[in-house]
Amino acid sequence: MELVLDRVLVKRGEVSIRASCAFSPGVHLVTGSVGAGKSTLALVAAGLLPPTEGSVERRGIARSMLLFQFPELHLTEKTIREEISSFGVPVDGVLSRSGLFGRGEEDPLSLSRGELKRLLLSCVLARDDDLLILDEPFSGLDCTGRLRLCREIGKKRGGIVILCTHERHFLPRVDVIWEFEDHTLACRGRVPEAIASWQGAPAGIKALVAAGQVPQNVSFEDIGEAACRTRD
Amino acid sequence: MMIRVEGLSHGILSVPILSIPNGLCVVTGRNGSGKTTLLRLLAGISVPERGSITVDGRDPATLERGFVHEFPGKNSLFSIVSQEVASPLWFRHALCEEVERAVSRAARSVGIEGLLSREVRNLSGGEQVLCALATAVVGNPALLVLDEWDSHLDSDTAVHAEACIRAMQIPHVVWCTQDMDIAASADYVVFMEGGRVRYSGTPLSVFPALKDTCWYPPSWRWREWSSSSTVSS
Repeated sequence: MELVLDRVLVKRGEVSIRASCAFSPGVHLVTGSVGAGKSTLALVAAGLLPPTEGSVERRGIARSMLLFQFPELHLTEKTIREEISSFGVPVDGVLSRSGLFGRGEEDPLSLSRGELKRLLLSCVLARDDDLLILDEPFSGLDCTGRLRLCREIGKKRGGIVILCTHERHFLPRVDVIWEFEDHTLACRGRVPEAIASWQGAPAGIKALVAAGQVPQNVSFEDIGEAACRTRD
Repeated sequence: MMIRVEGLSHGILSVPILSIPNGLCVVTGRNGSGKTTLLRLLAGISVPERGSITVDGRDPATLERGFVHEFPGKNSLFSIVSQEVASPLWFRHALCEEVERAVSRAARSVGIEGLLSREVRNLSGGEQVLCALATAVVGNPALLVLDEWDSHLDSDTAVHAEACIRAMQIPHVVWCTQDMDIAASADYVVFMEGGRVRYSGTPLSVFPALKDTCWYPPSWRWREWSSSSTVSS
């Protein structure tokens, strides 16, 4: 199973976003500042935006799902229950996992932003897709929700997960780190080796690397563990 | 001069008394704890079912206010950035030259001069938020309310936005965020839980109570880790 972007170029206004890369099964962290091209990459990878140049090839990928940065873009139904059903997943399980048990008959637009995000995350995580693309899944979640999402992503096995985010403090364990540099996607390699060459790494990780204590992975726990190792 | 809340009861919110001094106040807490409801009341968008809110002794609805919504894409009314930023002044029939001056000033103050001729829908999520901020400040508000608008900004941009907002010297800024490093740099913090104010005060007085939780500011945690080790950040 593999998603291959071959010399892809997408023009967005004055900016050209470029990616030539292959995503294999595992969790891929895609980072970069605002406007770098993360959401554009997510749309191209999901097959929703044809590239201006180059090609996208899906090898052995039968089912895929993209979670948009803005959760309200997903809404098609009048009740939370119908919205969950539209994802083809069991309603009651998702209701309780998203903390909305007993609220199935309410309008999804009556939820707060964080609640809506939690609902849609529970829907997409309950599916079993070969390719799951999450565009800024942490935005709008409080820190307890972020930590829980990290654990949920960590449980995903077998498929390709592409995680496009600017989140720096609460990340799941990932397999590969990618980074946008001048709107061009660059691969930093597999974790933990990739961590030392991650240019946009959070200050804490950079300081650990400088002190020779490269964390095992990029999760909150891994960074805390590496920081403890540096103590006398 | 301050924001005063007295005997407030509205939906899930119950705030007997709260005083927020001038400057940058961060409102934070769990999803669904009533933050947005409180912000809408402070901004004068909703009227309290019971109790009162005053800003410098006045009804917030009588002040010049700016508000950035949590769904920035839904904020925009016009297709071009410069038109969107100008819209609050157009609606009050301001003179064209005055609008032009105010739009360039607002765009400069948040660093989006280069985006003015772009279409709003073609902006990235973060750029849309900066456009919404410029629109909110174009009328020189006395009160600026930002509702988790920074969830679409990367942390460098959020720091840039905070510096821009501080430089504007708006008397009251109420900023709802999940970024505890922003909260740690605020003048005042309000931490909500289940519709109530659980903690309020300066960051130094609020965060020690949250030390063993994920709410503790990452930069503080890091400083403490590094001061007890060989790592320096």
